[in-house]
Amino acid sequence: MNAIEISRLTRVFGERVAVQDLTLAIPAGSVFGFLGPNGAGKTTTVRMLAALIAPSSGSALVAGHELGKENEQIRRAVGILTETPGLYDRLSARQNLLFFARLYGLDGQKAEGQVERYLRMLDLWERRNDRVGGFSKGMRQKLAIARALLHEPEVVFLDEPTSGLDPEAARTVRQFIAELRSEGRTIFLTTHNLHEADELCDQVGVFRTRLLRVDTPANLRVGMFGRGTVVRVVGEAEHWLETARALPFVGGVVANKDSLTVRLNDPDYQNPMLIRALITAGAQVRYVEAISHSLEEVYLGLIDGQAQTKPDGQLQEERK
Amino acid sequence: MRNVLIVLKKEWLEITRQRSLLLGVTLPPLIFSLLPIVLMIITGKVPVAATRINTISALPIPSLAHLSPDELAQGVVALQFSVLYLILPVIIPSVIAAYSIVGEKSNRTLEPLLATPVKTWELLVGKCIAAILPAVIATWLSGVIFIGALSTFSISPRVFTAVVTPGWLVALFLWTPVISLLAVAFMTAVSARVNDPRTAEQFSAWFVVPFLILFLGQMFGIIVLGIFFSLLALLVLIVLTFAAFWVVTRLFQREVILTRWK
Repeated sequence: MNAIEISRLTRVFGERVAVQDLTLAIPAGSVFGFLGPNGAGKTTTVRMLAALIAPSSGSALVAGHELGKENEQIRRAVGILTETPGLYDRLSARQNLLFFARLYGLDGQKAEGQVERYLRMLDLWERRNDRVGGFSKGMRQKLAIARALLHEPEVVFLDEPTSGLDPEAARTVRQFIAELRSEGRTIFLTTHNLHEADELCDQVGVFRTRLLRVDTPANLRVGMFGRGTVVRVVGEAEHWLETARALPFVGGVVANKDSLTVRLNDPDYQNPMLIRALITAGAQVRYVEAISHSLEEVYLGLIDGQAQTKPDGQLQEERK
Repeated sequence: MRNVLIVLKKEWLEITRQRSLLLGVTLPPLIFSLLPIVLMIITGKVPVAATRINTISALPIPSLAHLSPDELAQGVVALQFSVLYLILPVIIPSVIAAYSIVGEKSNRTLEPLLATPVKTWELLVGKCIAAILPAVIATWLSGVIFIGALSTFSISPRVFTAVVTPGWLVALFLWTPVISLLAVAFMTAVSARVNDPRTAEQFSAWFVVPFLILFLGQMFGIIVLGIFFSLLALLVLIVLTFAAFWVVTRLFQREVILTRWK
């Protein structure tokens, strides 16, 4: 079952297209990473899906509710962490959360209970009566996350949840996101931190005005650069170039100093045969490792590829 | 209605936590309540110099034409003061609305707020009530204190009846909520274009101009705050308020706030 189903969602501001023909399905209980450069249309997409602004065309089902027709139900079913925490500095942490809990329809004891639950969960209970204006950036971000979860939403939109946080605070937030997933919530995570996306997301979508690619982080890496093996030998790897090339299952070989990079379509099965052939030919194998590419390389490859295909080379900036 | 009360409660909680805002809201009514008492006592006890009597008598104020020179001196002070009360429903809601709406925008709290199921009209009504209720209560209270001071310290009942006219009473009690609403509508419209509460407050200063015209108009006898004038002005104010809220309800929509507000 999908928590979010988007079909050809488009948003135009005047003559500028912010989001174009976005079609996507996000399974319930998964973490979806929405990656893209600044001004790519990510915030506009989140705002549309959270029923804050209307799409120009296209449709979407969010938590089973139809965008445009059941906006109030959508707002009740989703939680959103906006780009900036947006907290009332003069009110205490508890007062901030109570205000939002009540607006989400929680009453009396239920509201108090939820506020306590999330303040404790995010280690803010001891500071509950302190004014938020005196909180550190990390504490403010945690409080904003708590606010997004008070009403136990099915779908949570997190826009740059670890942006500007110190490593310790960022780790706490990441652990919390992982906990949310284990509770079965669907998380739509907008981030520039590709390591974070790699660590947390079941699926990632690379986006710039339109969706460039969507897959699991692992499949994206393979899909972009293919699979293969790096064999490091004693001496110049160039000596064993022909040996490798002669093998029928090898897709391509490159030698560089002591490394032989071999492209394979099924390394798990083909590696033993490759290594046996090299050793038989006299190579002294020191290490064998899988070709690895980071999500960052995949992301930059996709974004650069799209930028090059744009006729005017201009990148559209999203209106904030 | 539940959400309106939630918003209202939060607004007042915030107001009570801002010293400068509290000062801006409480100081003008406090001054406007104490000053007339002091002035009524002074003008009632200290005889007016002959040269000043001539100057005051030269003021063409029809409603005070029948007063004696000493009554006239007190009447002029009281009459001008009576108009100042009509500025309170401009000042107080403008100060509150500037912080309540522009402040919300500059602190970036509007988007999380709009992401909740609250309806935009509930938000607007909550903020309006939070801004106009203190203004209406403070103005009415100050006005009642003024009436009490005038009845206690006026030289003669003729001064009292010359100042506390049916026209002025209509202005004090009926104009006040309408002017407050108009001021909030004006500030909401300003909020769409400015990002700083102080800038918004500066815009609200222009709103005082019609009341200065009324003040000067009365002083020079051009305007007489009679019952007909007051009721006609009330009608105009109501029409203006409806028109202003027609514009404001279109400005205060999720889509417009998030995509068109600067």
